[in-house]
Amino acid sequence: VSAAAPATSAPQAHALLGKRLVVFTGKGGTGKSTLSAALALAAASQGMKVLVCEVTARERVSELFGSEPAGTELRQLRPHLWAVHVRPREAMHEYGVMKLRSETIYNLVFERKVVRYFLKAAPSLAEITMLGKVCWHAAKDVDYRGQPTWDLVILDAPATGHGLTLLTVPEVFLGLVTEGPLAADMTWMQALLRDPARTSVCVTALPEEMPVNEAIELRAALQQHRLPVGPVFLNSAFATRFTRAERSAVAMAGPLLSAAGEAADAHEARAELTFRYRAALREAVGEALVEVPHQFDRHFGAAALERIGKAIAGSL
Amino acid sequence: VTGPSLDQARRPPLRQLLAGRKVICCVGSGGVGKTTTSAALALRLAVEGQRVLVLTIDPARRLANALGLSALGNRETPISLHPLEPEGVHAKGTLHAMVLDLKLAWDDLIHREARTPEHARQVLANRLYQTLSTVLAGSLEYMATERVAELSKSGRYDVIVLDTPPTTNALDFLEAPDKLLDVLDNDAMRVLLGPLLKAGRFGLRFFALPSSIVLGTLAKFTGASFLEDVAGFLVAFEGLYDGFKRRAAEVKRLLASPEAAFVLVTSPSPLTIEEALFFHRTLRESRIGTAAVVVNRVQRDPRRFGGPEQQAALAEALQQARLSDGPGTPAPGEPPLDDGSAPLSQRLARTLEEQAALADLDRREIERLAHALSGVPLYTVPRLRKDVHDLAGLWQMEQAAEAPE
Repeated sequence: VSAAAPATSAPQAHALLGKRLVVFTGKGGTGKSTLSAALALAAASQGMKVLVCEVTARERVSELFGSEPAGTELRQLRPHLWAVHVRPREAMHEYGVMKLRSETIYNLVFERKVVRYFLKAAPSLAEITMLGKVCWHAAKDVDYRGQPTWDLVILDAPATGHGLTLLTVPEVFLGLVTEGPLAADMTWMQALLRDPARTSVCVTALPEEMPVNEAIELRAALQQHRLPVGPVFLNSAFATRFTRAERSAVAMAGPLLSAAGEAADAHEARAELTFRYRAALREAVGEALVEVPHQFDRHFGAAALERIGKAIAGSL
Repeated sequence: VTGPSLDQARRPPLRQLLAGRKVICCVGSGGVGKTTTSAALALRLAVEGQRVLVLTIDPARRLANALGLSALGNRETPISLHPLEPEGVHAKGTLHAMVLDLKLAWDDLIHREARTPEHARQVLANRLYQTLSTVLAGSLEYMATERVAELSKSGRYDVIVLDTPPTTNALDFLEAPDKLLDVLDNDAMRVLLGPLLKAGRFGLRFFALPSSIVLGTLAKFTGASFLEDVAGFLVAFEGLYDGFKRRAAEVKRLLASPEAAFVLVTSPSPLTIEEALFFHRTLRESRIGTAAVVVNRVQRDPRRFGGPEQQAALAEALQQARLSDGPGTPAPGEPPLDDGSAPLSQRLARTLEEQAALADLDRREIERLAHALSGVPLYTVPRLRKDVHDLAGLWQMEQAAEAPE
């Protein structure tokens, strides 16, 4: 396979559908939410019970499915497919009540203005509880028979810097504190996040200089923190459709074909970028690359997600 | 087919709109070309004769990329504008660029504000400080604004262009100084941690519950040593508050004054337009006007040339031009074609349809934005054929933003 041949199927070794937790992170606007939703749809269509967790300020996944915002309660979007919006204050509340086994004590202590200030100052307590909730669903959420409630949990994580901060919060915390219940929880969370059998962190990119550079650096940083990395998803890829000879012939053909020539040129400009950055990514990450074709829907929604799901199915 | 429903010819040139400003903040969500736009604006102002500094917070080297450098340091780096001469551009001013290294900036700040070198050492050695300076929410935004105010005061530059961090919430950026002070300069917190601080100067009268119980409950989560660290941190920070507060107030005053301008940068994708509108509302709530909005990467509509769009008509046009309407055969060294076995007219028709769909999507979103931001000059930059990663590319991008449709 030449370095720049389209990445139609990545090795099965990644086996994203066999993990407990799949995380998407990458530069803003590279399609983290879209891919989270498309992967969820692909898994759900195989009968897996899937939960998508969003942690950024604005919900996107439910919107992509044409549903109202899911909110902080679990909400079913499709058969087998659920979503939840994890927000710091609610996650903190849930965690606190679980640990103290008392709503009253939680409210007495944690809902005080003073303590809320403290929680803001104490580094990353918000991230800790948000990540804690996601990890809990992936590793500890079981039904009455002791079976995992979810076959797969997908985390639509924040963009590069904030995403890395979120995923390394157990490491940072455990560097500071080694005793106490929070430290104990950080320990199992870290074990889950670092276990390649259960977790895969996928980086998203677009065929452009900056997103690709960022993806390569982010992936290296994730590896440095011993987080198991999955494939890089090269989103919005364009395939070469015209030969150079065809394009120059159309361009020379005069005004009648001007629009067609312009369209073909614009298409090929993006195909060339795809070609170039596919090669750059291949050089950096080898075969761990999944290409996602651009979707031209005038209304981006479930139909486009299904097409993406099918396009990446061979690589899952 | 017309362009966006706004009178592009009547808007003032962007540089005129930004004349006389000391600080230009480019705000917007991530992935919309904010860094590139900041660099392009800075370049334009430098060419016009100003002494310009463009400052980014991004550790991922985007600004260096955009300026055609492999890396940029934490220091003000002069950028040679000679590479523009082949374009016929002779710069009258100067351009500097720098990346804000958060950790170093914090350390600098502590050194400047500390009472004594010993005090600075104490703060810098605190374990909590070491994580605080990298992870505390809002600290990124705080350091950015703080640094801008300081550089602006230095007199070395006529104008500073700030590429703001890609926050999802504009408030994070505007309120960062307040938020940070809230956390650091809070008597209530010292009350809570009183028993640990052994200062006890506030007593416990604010509490219905003895603070030892509150502390005990918190310790159940965090472990007692963590609380002690927090207390130690607050003690170490004592005395730094006033300096912080003064500077934060200065930053706020500067950002809200006519010397500062906020340029909203976005792309035509629906999600980023949504975020741009949110930014605009937030700015307005803080009584800050959006000086201009720049929409990057706008798809050009191929139909502006007219001509046939259906496959049959395209096939006829190809025949008239005596061109073969067959499958595409790549020359040696060319990549294989997607759907190459289809006749050329079919591939052209499909591509026209796709490109038109992209242009329609963009137009719809820009109209929505223009409608919501009526009165704010809007500049569109067409999607460029090539990535911008050198000065010439930046210059072309800037020219494209100025050109009427």
